Amino acid sequence: MNSYVPILFMLGLGFAFAALSVFTSLVVGPKRYNRAKLEAYECGIQPTPHAAGGGRVPIKYYLTAMLFIIFDIESIFLYPFAVAFNKLGLFALVEMVLFILTVFIAYAYVWRRGGLEWD
Amino acid sequence: MSFVTAYGVAAALPMENPTADFSDTPWWVALIKAVGVFVYLLISTLLVIWFERRVIGRMQQRPGPNRNGPFGLLQTLADGMKSMLKEDITPANAEKFIYTLAPLIAATMAFVSFAIIPLGGTVSMFGHETPLQVTDVPIAVLLVLAVASVGVYGIILAGWSSGSTYPLLGGLRSTAQVISYEIAMGLSLVAIFLYSGSMSTSAIVSAQSSLWYILPAFFSFAVYVITMVGETNRLPFDLAEGEGELTGGFHTEYSSMRFAMFFLGEYVNMFTVSALATTLFLGGPQAPPLISAINDNMFGGGWWGLLWFTLKLWVFMFIFVWLRGSLPRVRYDQFMRFGWKFLIPITLAWVVAVAFIRGAQLGFLGDSKLTFAGRELSVATVVIVSIVAVIALAAAWIWDDKRAAKAAAEDEAPPEEIDPFEGGYPVPPLPGQRLAEPGPRISATREPVLSTASTTSATSTFAKEEDHG
Amino acid sequence: MTAVAPLALPAAFQPSNVDYLAILPLLIVFGAALVGVLVEAFAPRERRHVIQVGLAVVGLLGAAVAIIPAAGHQGVTMGLADGSTNRQMFALAVDGPALFMQGTIVLMGVLGILTMAERFGGTGPDAFTPSGASTPGSANETAAARAGALTSEVFPLTMFAIFGMMLFPTTNDLIGMFVALEVLSLPLYILSGLARRRRLLSQEASLKYFLLGAFSSAFFLFGTALLYGYAGSVYFGDLSRAIASGPLAMNGLLLPGAFLVFVGLLFKVGAVPFHAWTPDVYQGAPTPVTGFMAACTKAAAFGAILRLAYVGLDTGRWEWTNALVLVALLTMVVGAVLSVTQTDMKRLLAYSSIAHAGFILVGVLAFDRKAIGAVLFYLVAYGFATIAAFAIVSLVRQNGAEATHLSQWAGLGKRYPVVAGAFAFLMLAFAGIPLTSGFVSKFAVFSAAVGTGGATGTVLAVVGVVCSAITVFVYARVIVLMFFSDAPDDAVEVVTPSVSTTFSIAIGTLVTLALGVLPSALLDLADRASQFVR
Repeated sequence: MNSYVPILFMLGLGFAFAALSVFTSLVVGPKRYNRAKLEAYECGIQPTPHAAGGGRVPIKYYLTAMLFIIFDIESIFLYPFAVAFNKLGLFALVEMVLFILTVFIAYAYVWRRGGLEWD
Repeated sequence: MSFVTAYGVAAALPMENPTADFSDTPWWVALIKAVGVFVYLLISTLLVIWFERRVIGRMQQRPGPNRNGPFGLLQTLADGMKSMLKEDITPANAEKFIYTLAPLIAATMAFVSFAIIPLGGTVSMFGHETPLQVTDVPIAVLLVLAVASVGVYGIILAGWSSGSTYPLLGGLRSTAQVISYEIAMGLSLVAIFLYSGSMSTSAIVSAQSSLWYILPAFFSFAVYVITMVGETNRLPFDLAEGEGELTGGFHTEYSSMRFAMFFLGEYVNMFTVSALATTLFLGGPQAPPLISAINDNMFGGGWWGLLWFTLKLWVFMFIFVWLRGSLPRVRYDQFMRFGWKFLIPITLAWVVAVAFIRGAQLGFLGDSKLTFAGRELSVATVVIVSIVAVIALAAAWIWDDKRAAKAAAEDEAPPEEIDPFEGGYPVPPLPGQRLAEPGPRISATREPVLSTASTTSATSTFAKEEDHG
Repeated sequence: MTAVAPLALPAAFQPSNVDYLAILPLLIVFGAALVGVLVEAFAPRERRHVIQVGLAVVGLLGAAVAIIPAAGHQGVTMGLADGSTNRQMFALAVDGPALFMQGTIVLMGVLGILTMAERFGGTGPDAFTPSGASTPGSANETAAARAGALTSEVFPLTMFAIFGMMLFPTTNDLIGMFVALEVLSLPLYILSGLARRRRLLSQEASLKYFLLGAFSSAFFLFGTALLYGYAGSVYFGDLSRAIASGPLAMNGLLLPGAFLVFVGLLFKVGAVPFHAWTPDVYQGAPTPVTGFMAACTKAAAFGAILRLAYVGLDTGRWEWTNALVLVALLTMVVGAVLSVTQTDMKRLLAYSSIAHAGFILVGVLAFDRKAIGAVLFYLVAYGFATIAAFAIVSLVRQNGAEATHLSQWAGLGKRYPVVAGAFAFLMLAFAGIPLTSGFVSKFAVFSAAVGTGGATGTVLAVVGVVCSAITVFVYARVIVLMFFSDAPDDAVEVVTPSVSTTFSIAIGTLVTLALGVLPSALLDLADRASQFVR
């Protein structure tokens, strides 16, 4: 048996449990219609319109997402290096330090230019 | 025992692939184990919610839930039943399909990672010799990270599909938070892979047979514990919910069982990250050092492992509860600054340091040895470790110096007289301060603003050159 | 089935062999670009411009000098040789054409940097907006300008682009070629959107370039996948051998693969029908960037096309040549005919560059060592003339903004005879009039086509000559406009450039003249450098 299959077992069990719970509460739970209940939550005022559909999101989040991709890729490159390190030798050590340094230059630039400020 | 010599031995036998032997495990045994782990998680969740409320109750000098069942143990079950019998509201603005899908993703993904966690040694089950672990793959730890990333979709989709402002903001915040701390978490794990030479959980556990990684990779452990709190959106990092600011964050609009699924997902996620910490840093199901010495490790292996694993797991659960009981929520900008400006660079530096230490141990940096107190040490290791220690000390010294200077600056007595409108907004005076006469100062500060608005020559040429084709 | 046996993993890890002297020029340029990023981060704002320009020029000149030792270390590098299967898996091929292209790009890059550095007495580079991320005309932008913001990032960006361009003709496998393609493209997309004036046009150019460039990159990648499916390897040597010994049944992968990879490369040189971006981007981008882009990207991309056509896919030549011949014909005709109708100087030069891409393709399609030398020579001649021409365009102003409409150039020759004279001379070079580099390069390319290209070569050469004749009309019209018509009342002026722009215009014009009068030295060098390693 493929060693990945039991992971699918867990996935199936988890999904079955969650779906069944939600379905049960849909069947068992009461339903009392009230238009006010279906409004978006707000403290007695009209909610800001179009929060979901056409709403704009602060640029900071995009910046964070892009920085995340850079560093995520960096750590993904570090993983195989770390796992195979005892076979790779000094060459890999030097190469990896160079790689980290290169990414660090970009990091220093982003930091100095205020890309990591959040306010 | 020196970890240097201990790891010299481990390095000679690198094991990239799982050491647990699944060859005698038919599919139905795997399915039974999966069901077992699933039930283990559900019961643990029921217990930990009760545990959390009781412990926090004690910390706040009140009893906590004590009505349903002995010691209130059935309180969580009662809460679950109650939420099932509540009305399930879907707001009019919501994207119906995704609104339902999001809690399912959050709950489902929480369970998946536990499939690769080793809960004990090899046991006999229905006539089959099988490890007490659902399965193991060569990239097990990577799988945990990947599943955690998919789990974030539950939060962001819930926030987006609710069609409401607070959930959207909560979902965005939460995503930014989780991905920011995921980097530091991922980097902290590199040190473990450097030591163990594998990403398989069973191989990592067996590589810790002589020494748990919490010692050689102590800094990774510290970073991991911090980031695991950030990853699970728990106090003091529960900015995605932030009741005071976002009225519940991404699950503001959810009710009944769909809300309960987020709740369940959060607690199962706590178990998952704690189980990973146990596996990577605390030797997983191995017996603690003193106990393992009794009678040639008679309390290690087999079903005993489940006991040790559960105990270690609950240490982390107690830490979670303890943090929640003692710390206030951090501010969002402070949280992001801590992640991006402190954790990431310092973890990167730590990874480089570990790579050098490891390289020295493996003899990549020269083979000369020296004898110290009857023990053979490689010169390169000593040199690298001392260099790292010196750099760390210097950094700590500079940091301490800066902090002392900052504290000294703050200790200076505040000026006797303040202008409440200096920054443009009214500011109340500190005790012992007098208010300056506000009248003339306002106009004095406003004047330069007006003069810059009337532009200099440089900007006027700039504006003239504009030609928006 | 695959023609090449799949690679068995070696028992022990072997570090790849790197000949650091051979790749020293690349390392110097890349290092200078990285230092440039650090300068952006840490140097005080008022000194950044001087430091960046100095760093870039010193880095590029250092790389130019480093080509001399690299020439003594020619051969494949950065990879492994598998003794058991006799395979060469090397990522880079440092050979004559690669080094020749690297030298050309580096030297033209110096001129490009010097043109971009023009400040006209201001604090930042004149051609670039102080705040590229602000909405055009917004309060943000004005505030940034008032705060003294300046875009000195353009220099590190240009250096990264130059690094990618140097890598492009040097790569020896499809993956490396794709990486180089992206490294050279991404900075150019940003640079195109940073024009100080006519911001919206510039941003539109940037977006168009990015979208179409992303499309062409996708084509290239898809082609790479198909070729990998055909040959089981991405290395050009394996590819060539697989085609030579491969079964015809697999042609379903080979032909589309080769075609798609060529699409990716032909997009970069602006060959018809992949030329649609060229006029818009050339017009919208800051003029110094246009000059740099036109000269250096073309050189790099033709270097890559040469390697692919002569090393990677040479054995399957009969399969794809006809498609490329068609592209060359279309490129020459469309470029020449449409340049007749242009009324904007930058668009005119853009269509002229399309026509030139066609002429160069004629040389590529001659499939001969002499033709390689001719193409290399053509790229040098065209590049230097183009940088100088765009530098002159950036000097002709009306109310501070560049006057690029042809009617605005009327009578320029009477009021500014030196500048207009230089421009007229460059126009003659583009037209291919004797005593200019354009004549020598066109002669070399067409004679190679006639000599070894067979019947198709002859046809291509004839069409090329006819199209040259059409473009002569275009350039002559500009010259007539400048010298033989009267200036309008609101006449344009030629602003006085600083030493750096003057230097690059002078060098560009002098090289054009020198290569026209005494071409033999460079022709010999290009001929000696025309041997690919495999």
